[in-house]
Amino acid sequence: MAQSVLVEDLRQVVGEANVLNTPVHLQLYQYDAYLEERRPDVVVFAHSTEEVVGIIKVCNAHGVPFVPRGGGTNLSGGTIPFKGGVVIEMIRMNRLLEVDQRSLRARVQPGMFNLELGNALALLGYQFLPDPASQKAATLGGNVAENSGGPHCFKYGVTTNHVVGLTVVLPDGEIAEFGGMAPDAPGYDLTGVFVGSEGTFGVCTEVVVRIVRMPEGVKTMLAIYDSIERGSETVSAIVAAGMVPATLEMMDQLVIQAVEQSIHCGLPVDCATVLIIEIDGLKDDLEAQSEAIVRLCMEHGAREVRVAKNEGERALLWAGRRGAFGAVARLSPSYLVCDGTVPRTALPTVLKKVAEVGEKYDLKIPNVFHAGDGNLHPLILFDWRNAEQKARVMKAGMEILALCVELGGTISGEHGVGLEKMDSLRLVLSEADIRSQLRVKRAFDPKDLANPGKIFPAPLEVVGAS
Amino acid sequence: MDADPESTSAFAVDGLVPSLTVRPGTQDEVAEVVSACAAEGAALVPWGGGTAMGTGNRPERVDVVVRLDRLDRIVEFDPDNLCVTVEAGMPLARLQELIAEKKVLLPLDPPDGARVTVGGLVAANLSGPRRLQHGTIRDWVLGMRVVLPDGERIRCGGRVIKNVSGYDMNKLFIRSFGTLGIVTEVTVKLLPMPAAQASVMGLFPDLSGAAAVVEKVLASFLLPEALDLLDPGALDLLAPALGHGATGGFALVAGFTGSREVVARQVRDMEVLIAEWGGTTHLFQEADSVRAWAAITDVFRALPEDPLRVLCTMAVPIGRTAGTMASVRVRAAEQGLTATLSAHAGSGILRAAFRPTHGSSGEGAIPGMAAAIEILRGEAAAVGGSLVIQEASPRLKERIDAWGRPGSGFATMRRIKVEFDPQRVCSPGRFLGGI
Repeated sequence: MAQSVLVEDLRQVVGEANVLNTPVHLQLYQYDAYLEERRPDVVVFAHSTEEVVGIIKVCNAHGVPFVPRGGGTNLSGGTIPFKGGVVIEMIRMNRLLEVDQRSLRARVQPGMFNLELGNALALLGYQFLPDPASQKAATLGGNVAENSGGPHCFKYGVTTNHVVGLTVVLPDGEIAEFGGMAPDAPGYDLTGVFVGSEGTFGVCTEVVVRIVRMPEGVKTMLAIYDSIERGSETVSAIVAAGMVPATLEMMDQLVIQAVEQSIHCGLPVDCATVLIIEIDGLKDDLEAQSEAIVRLCMEHGAREVRVAKNEGERALLWAGRRGAFGAVARLSPSYLVCDGTVPRTALPTVLKKVAEVGEKYDLKIPNVFHAGDGNLHPLILFDWRNAEQKARVMKAGMEILALCVELGGTISGEHGVGLEKMDSLRLVLSEADIRSQLRVKRAFDPKDLANPGKIFPAPLEVVGAS
Repeated sequence: MDADPESTSAFAVDGLVPSLTVRPGTQDEVAEVVSACAAEGAALVPWGGGTAMGTGNRPERVDVVVRLDRLDRIVEFDPDNLCVTVEAGMPLARLQELIAEKKVLLPLDPPDGARVTVGGLVAANLSGPRRLQHGTIRDWVLGMRVVLPDGERIRCGGRVIKNVSGYDMNKLFIRSFGTLGIVTEVTVKLLPMPAAQASVMGLFPDLSGAAAVVEKVLASFLLPEALDLLDPGALDLLAPALGHGATGGFALVAGFTGSREVVARQVRDMEVLIAEWGGTTHLFQEADSVRAWAAITDVFRALPEDPLRVLCTMAVPIGRTAGTMASVRVRAAEQGLTATLSAHAGSGILRAAFRPTHGSSGEGAIPGMAAAIEILRGEAAAVGGSLVIQEASPRLKERIDAWGRPGSGFATMRRIKVEFDPQRVCSPGRFLGGI
């Protein structure tokens, strides 16, 4: 009964065609790229800021939680409606509203795909630098919510470094503008606070991003190694030599084999690892830089270094990396993507230890990593139908995160906490840290309606009592 | 601890003399000091190098100034991972000296670089010409430790580039002007030192030529580290440092760093562009370039002392920077003010000094000044920007809000302040909207 009033009220806001509540429809919105599922009560398609205001006001009136959703590529369960309620589907707010080349800014709706924005800007000679591997299906709103990374972070930073303004519908239905086209808006940096808040501070309905000129030149290299340690040593050597490549990406043998089976981009399937290095900038010193890098790779035991001679060869090198997660899906019915980060120089150590964890739990763990920024993605393979194996996977995942923290790193580099890492948050945050973050949550969302049940683990007392 | 009125008066904030100054020697001591203030209901203001103490509104109360100059140690320097952790009272210039031996730097250049501390840089998000390429401290902080207004110590972020483990709490404290607690330790990313640097100055008879070059450079492949526009007043102040004759015109200075090849190529392209738009060029190489930028960054220090002088920062969309410079000059003159302007032209930041043109230096000039600043604030607001007062006499501050009117995000900001500092212990009243 109450349910049908909710649905009726939402229909008043967005029209009947934009409200889904049949079991089949709801089932489609009960999962994302993580492993848990939870069914929403209703799904609503929003087309404007005003509609989002209307939807959230209805949620307030009914005391029902809401979860904004973009492409659903989230790897930590961020878009799963853990406490039911309303899923606000943002995918139809997908327009590029303005490109101001003179001010180096673009205004975008949050449902636009990251790659779509990239393509639109490329026609003008500009780019939006954050480029998560899922960019074909990941939306800008999702990038904002998760503070997404991607392969270019070592040189160019993550989403938060490129988002300068937001229009947000707060959890009480009020519209607020944070930041904007002009820099340094007086007051607290709520743009910066909102980015990475995983949908728990409200719904962003417009994003102002920094755009930059396409570089004059790019050089992409692929170094092939018979030893994974030598590969990661090379990464440190390049940085120590004072160079700042745009990208330093690595894949291990299992990933390379999977990629080769599915994409055929000419990677040697018998090597231990490949390192993809990309440098960009003015053309004048790219040749000299690339020669220096090739030399460093060879000195550190590379078997071979290939330098892409044209855009086609470059695209092929990248196809392998971008397709890695997809290709690994061939190896087993499911996998858990870990997202630990360590200081770059600890990479060889952590990789060795990850392999030991794999042996200990009898699990296969292929590895893809953003080596420049120390962000590793061990992919723990398993079969979701095998409960005992899944339990081992979860333990192994936790152990890997603990390893990263021990080595001076953290539990999530770019995928977020969501549902997945609530239990490991205490590895990096003290009780005081958690309390202070909850203060920010209360300031934004005193009624706890925005994506509730995420990020923060239950208070310790409660855990003890149960 | 010091309660001697003679020495505490040196730590007055907008004329409010604290009854006590305290110099904690460790981060734990900072927490004890804050706890004690909270217990007594005393209002505290943290004080680093003191370079941004003129910014903002006059605080409601200042009972205790917490000096952080004894917190000046490097906690951990990890050049291999390009990061360093320092206590908040570490002067930026000293940090740069200490890490330079490993050929790394923090590429930020706020005014008063010799005095400004890392904590001050964070609390005020100070920036300089290099923000064009390197952003602000917001883009370099990986982690920090903070003492909250109730004395509790927390950690934000960590020491890795990518970190989404919980909310990005660093952003909350960066540019919070001491209103949410005291930052006691900061971990920042570093950059390898560039092999070469040089700068090109173009002198133009009018603003339009310089503005056209700004637009061309920003639309080109060139990657200047800094791109500053100087009006005739600023250019005059810099004549001794930059070694040019009086011109009455405008200057555009572009700074380049990187490999020798890249710097040389950009200098060449820049010289061509300047000539095309009717400018004459001056080249500064290596150490001369460093000196030129130091002078430009601190240009307002060369201004004559004047109790009616107001220093402001205007922030506008990048593409509006030169246009705002032009309109501010016109409006200021209409209001009987002399403006001295220097802009980070690729970043949308204008720095301005205003003073009454005719010798009406008495108190009587203050209402007129306040009204004029509001009109100039309107110029920034008209293009979606802001005007913030960096330095003005307490009398003037009584008549004008340093930050301007709060926008639609303010309700959330106020709730944040209430959540963190319900007793109003930390710098009460200093920030936007009386936060």
